[in-house]
Amino acid sequence: MRKIIIFIMALLCAVTTPYRLLAQTRVLTGKVMEKNGQPIAGASVIISQSNQGVVTDADGRFKITVPGNASVVFRSTGFTSQTVRVPQGMAELNIVLREDVTGLEEVIITGLSTSIKRSNLANAVATVSSRELEGVAPAQTFDGALEGKIPGAYINANTGAPGGGVSVKLRGVTSVYGNTQPLYVVDGVFVDNTATSGGLNTVTGALAGGSATSNQDNPSSRIADLRAEDIENIEILKGASAAAIYGSKAAAGVVVITTKKGKPGRTNLTLSQDAGVIEVRKLLGVRQFTADRAASLSSDSATSAALRQEFLDAQAAGHLYDYEKEVYGNKGFARNTVLSVSGGSEKTSFYFSAGQKDEAGIVKNTGYRNTGLRLNLEHHINDNIKIGVSTAYINSSADRGLSGNDNAGVSLGIALSSTPSFAQLHPDQFGNYPNNPFAASNPLQTIALMRNNEGVNRFITGLNLEAILQKSRNSTTKFIARGGFDFYNLETNVLFPGNLQFQAVNKGTSIQGTTRNLNDNFIASLVNIYTPSEKLSLTTSAGITQEQGDYNNLLNVATQVISSQSNVDQAGSLTAAQFRSKFENNGVFAQEEVAILDAINVTGGIRFDQSSNNGDVGKYYVYPKAGLSWNLTKMGIIREGFFENLKLRAAYGQANNVPAYGSKFTSLGVSNIAGFPGSLVGIQEGDPSIKPERQAEFETGIDFTVLKGRLGFELTYYDKTIKDFLMQGSLPSSSGFTSQWINAGDLRNRGLELGLNAKPVDTRKVSWNTSVNFWLNRSLVTRFIIPPVPQGSFGYVLGSFQIEQGKSATQILGLDGTGGVSKLGDGEPKFQMNSYNEVTFFNKLSLRFLLHWKFGGDNVNLTNLENDFGGTSADYDKVTNKLGLPNGIYRISQIGTSARMFVQDASYFRVREIGIYYSFDKLPVNSVKSIRVGVSLNNFITVTRYPSYDPEVSNFGAGFSSGVDVDPYPASKRADFHVSIGF
Amino acid sequence: MQRLFQIPILFILLVMLAFSSCRKDYGNLNSPTVEQFLSNASQSQLNNLVSGAESGMRTNTALYLDDAGTIGREGYRFSASEPRYVTDLLGANDGTLSSSNFYITNPWASRYQVVKNCNVLIQAATASTLITAAQRNGYTGFARMIKAYQLLLNLNLTDSNGIRIDVSDPDALGPIVGYNDALAAISSLLDSAQTDLTGAEVVFSLAGFAGFSDAPGLLKVDRALAARVDVYRGLWANALNDLNSSFFGLTADFYLGVNHVFGTGSGDQLNPAFIPQNQNGEVRVAHPSYATDIESGDDRIGKATLRTSTASLNGLSSNRDVWVYTSSTANMPIIRNEELILIYAEAKIQLSAFTDALTALNTIRAGHNLAPYGGTVDQPSLITEMLNQRRYSLFYEGHRWIDMRRYGLLGQLPIDRVGDNVWSEFPLPVSEQQ
Repeated sequence: MRKIIIFIMALLCAVTTPYRLLAQTRVLTGKVMEKNGQPIAGASVIISQSNQGVVTDADGRFKITVPGNASVVFRSTGFTSQTVRVPQGMAELNIVLREDVTGLEEVIITGLSTSIKRSNLANAVATVSSRELEGVAPAQTFDGALEGKIPGAYINANTGAPGGGVSVKLRGVTSVYGNTQPLYVVDGVFVDNTATSGGLNTVTGALAGGSATSNQDNPSSRIADLRAEDIENIEILKGASAAAIYGSKAAAGVVVITTKKGKPGRTNLTLSQDAGVIEVRKLLGVRQFTADRAASLSSDSATSAALRQEFLDAQAAGHLYDYEKEVYGNKGFARNTVLSVSGGSEKTSFYFSAGQKDEAGIVKNTGYRNTGLRLNLEHHINDNIKIGVSTAYINSSADRGLSGNDNAGVSLGIALSSTPSFAQLHPDQFGNYPNNPFAASNPLQTIALMRNNEGVNRFITGLNLEAILQKSRNSTTKFIARGGFDFYNLETNVLFPGNLQFQAVNKGTSIQGTTRNLNDNFIASLVNIYTPSEKLSLTTSAGITQEQGDYNNLLNVATQVISSQSNVDQAGSLTAAQFRSKFENNGVFAQEEVAILDAINVTGGIRFDQSSNNGDVGKYYVYPKAGLSWNLTKMGIIREGFFENLKLRAAYGQANNVPAYGSKFTSLGVSNIAGFPGSLVGIQEGDPSIKPERQAEFETGIDFTVLKGRLGFELTYYDKTIKDFLMQGSLPSSSGFTSQWINAGDLRNRGLELGLNAKPVDTRKVSWNTSVNFWLNRSLVTRFIIPPVPQGSFGYVLGSFQIEQGKSATQILGLDGTGGVSKLGDGEPKFQMNSYNEVTFFNKLSLRFLLHWKFGGDNVNLTNLENDFGGTSADYDKVTNKLGLPNGIYRISQIGTSARMFVQDASYFRVREIGIYYSFDKLPVNSVKSIRVGVSLNNFITVTRYPSYDPEVSNFGAGFSSGVDVDPYPASKRADFHVSIGF
Repeated sequence: MQRLFQIPILFILLVMLAFSSCRKDYGNLNSPTVEQFLSNASQSQLNNLVSGAESGMRTNTALYLDDAGTIGREGYRFSASEPRYVTDLLGANDGTLSSSNFYITNPWASRYQVVKNCNVLIQAATASTLITAAQRNGYTGFARMIKAYQLLLNLNLTDSNGIRIDVSDPDALGPIVGYNDALAAISSLLDSAQTDLTGAEVVFSLAGFAGFSDAPGLLKVDRALAARVDVYRGLWANALNDLNSSFFGLTADFYLGVNHVFGTGSGDQLNPAFIPQNQNGEVRVAHPSYATDIESGDDRIGKATLRTSTASLNGLSSNRDVWVYTSSTANMPIIRNEELILIYAEAKIQLSAFTDALTALNTIRAGHNLAPYGGTVDQPSLITEMLNQRRYSLFYEGHRWIDMRRYGLLGQLPIDRVGDNVWSEFPLPVSEQQ
């Protein structure tokens, strides 16, 4: 009863409040500017302790009705907010906002529908702004653009092939054969990042046993489809303590992507054009042949003599070639055009963009094209209801060539590895390529005739509804619904015509794949913000979530293809493979955030999750989270002086990773013979009781700024454990199964992240913003219930990963040269550092660069082995070993005795991106507002001792075992020229 | 206060909504599951398991042939992309065979995959009420015979390291059984197949068993395999007995027998041991000694045809392609009469019935354009002759290495490079060593 009375009183109070305010109001106008006088558009101007506010227009101007004796808060992204008391009688107010060097003002999304200022955050959340993402030296694809930019992440490009393919591991490996890649969320839509094989294994046989696909087929990641130009900002929730509220699929972290939105005011039209050139980052060089060296390629005396003669003939005719340079030496032209229009009124705002990029690769007939359209709309139906829709259409096409491991001698690198300079591979006058007598394929012919294309049509649409259900002076209740779908159709088109040297058996192979994928998800929540006094604010949210996925991949493999045809019916033999998967995850969550004195922030939340992929589909798993941040200076415990904003923080959370679809079934595959349909027990045993793996993360840290906000520090320590990690455990294969998805044990990652933001130079003429980050991670397998076996590579002879209790999860074991197997290395970097810098001169000329240093972390390099083995490595004849043998021969003699020479340090220091831009903003023509020109270099300078093409490589794609190097598509670097015109 | 009032109720409503929402279980969208076969399988389901087993027997057979053929110095497998064929398998650099490498893990796993299918077939047929007892015996007899054959192939690779016989429960595998016990177990498995097949009704179709696809035919195949196991065990009289119940015939076609067959049909396989002649990079060439040791006029030289150019890799060379599997759909023998004639000869030599042995050996010689045997007629000389005929008659069918090992003659195999070794056996795959 008492509660009801209080409630009614509160309601009355709420209803009467506006009238009280109205009684003494007046109008305040003014302008919000940067230090140099540039107007700040879209800044929010809010009456302190209220829900009322406006935003500034394109000229930075605002007009607001304020009560008699009020404080007004001015806020804008990238600037330190400022609260100003507006005394009675003041009618005009101009405000200069200071740049937020340390990022403390940034608003970070902490729940599915709530957010908080960074200065009050309990987690270390990394953010990447639009400028950092694509404003320095743009990468080809979105995933490539993340490289070197996320402290706490180990990001590794799998391949240099056009169209991307990058592995992102946040705070160490979180799973072994479960999903190690983060969840990507674009404007509330969970987007799919499946890598779908085009069936290259049919031709390469990289995985023995006749399967059409393998994890060595080198497909791109679907996240590469996104266009970096449309992205406003990215937040990276690196572990469960921050990501817990995303529940299922969040165990590997969450990458929250927000696309650009229109702002009220004048319509801005920007046209940007980039043009550039792409070339190989590094070539390995080739062996310099002599008559003797040519003769030594065969142990048979007659053949040896013939080879000698072949070399002499080629030399006399001037027909010695550097085939590595011919194959990988193409200079690809790259262009990118983007048109964007944004603007809007108080009620409706929009952002529209259209863009197309077209880039050729370092191998002829490879390249990447991406065409995208985006329309983002926001509309206020009335003061209380806001809807938003963001839509994107993407059409991408990647010609990826043929690279990586194979057992048929067909991939370009493998063919090159045994092809000496005196081989004659060029076509005759009729365009017929000769067979390569030194390899199973003629790489020049392969490049000219083959096709390996991935074509994508993709729609991503997000919807967003915010309705204020109740609003009073100190309480606001909102209903927030977000959701959307991600649909794509992927066509893989692989063709190897019958006249290729290696098509002697299959006489032409055409592999046509169609993949249809639909993901949809929604979040519906209620949020209440209750501010009983200036000192206390409570944000309560609760809601439900659902995610569904439906994936259908159909692969048709035709062989004996009729000459010049590619349709699969134009063939003598046709085999099809189909794979489907579906899932539904349901979740319920509740979260409470308490802010006391704007200095203590306490967050607690809980989530219940079920998934159709779990063994028990009905069971709800429970995942809690909690966080605390305590700002000592705001509390007055430490007097603001040398230290400002000294904050202690700690957070804990749990999240899960659901098992892969199908892990609970023991299936029978199709295996036919002479037209009789056969069922053969698959090699994977199902586990009907499979559970999600559960990650629990604790992180703690201290943040502070000194020198009046010009220098900010952020120190974080985390400890995250993965319980019941999912793994395709090896079974004794005599059971008939070689693997089983199991919850194999527990894994721990501990690490440190140190960040520094500073503005060392800040004068009227020159300013320099810099950030330096240092991070490291160490993993440990704390429990492992199955016996350790080598995995993820090619066994002990060549060096292999092995999960073992009490050892690092990424240790590399191999033959140690003394008859045993020992640890030879570890895939985990010892530490990484990056530094992003922006130096501005006269507000016009801007120099930006991103440095990235990865120290330590070993690869299994088999590329050089292939070259030694084929007798073509550049240093084959050098003698630097203790036995006094030519190096090539020495290294081959070590195979089977020691794997040490394959496990190599893959440290590197890179100037990832560097760009210099000049802006013209006072132009004689009225119609043009500004022009910006610039030049940039992407991945141009690398310092490394790693002897293969690039330390970033992964023959097995984006899974657990990255860093295995088998004749990849070499990495490229690029130089671009940029023009951007604002109308 | 109002928030205390509102939120919990809404939250409870939401929770109730969510918990009561239908929970989805999509099942297996892609393929049948073992459970489905074990619950009263129909005849057509059982037939699918039969075809699956017959088809699965072909997986990784080329690798098996390369393992045995390379170590037995029948040939080399040159591959630009896979050095281990000419390093590990030839024992280069005094190295070792690895228990984690493809040459043992892949064929081993593929054979046990078929064993598993046969076990599922036996379980499914036993549980099915939709077939007659005679039909059930047909299925189980076939399954036991194939199982025995697959186990034998793995034992051929690991020899004294043994194999696992009892693998019906993946969670409680039987022990690793040593060589002699394993051979005995394989023998008794073939005997129980014989029991099953006697009087059985075969209602399934087989692809590579032309002429032997009914119960009497399968019995003959079963006994042929039993005869092979008998000579491995040195049970010479048993071998002759089993030959009598098999399709053995001194005057019958050498190629009479059962085969792996290959085709271009959907879901089918091509002969993985086929490589066209005169390829580069990826080749399978005959060991040079094949041609140098052959008697002149022997038509079996046609199994190693001259190349247009010599193939070389890593200090090894050969100018002859292995030309046993001459097209991508050529058959690969499982067991055939030529081997049975030589088993007959071997048993007779061991039982000192030299006249019968010579009849058999000369049948082989005559069949290959050679004059009758003119050497010394005593046991050691005839064994040498018998092994020599096996070498050429069964070239690249996976026998030479095992034959030389049986007779303790691995030391006689040629070594091509300094530091090379001849292995007597593969280690057990690493996954079994626990």
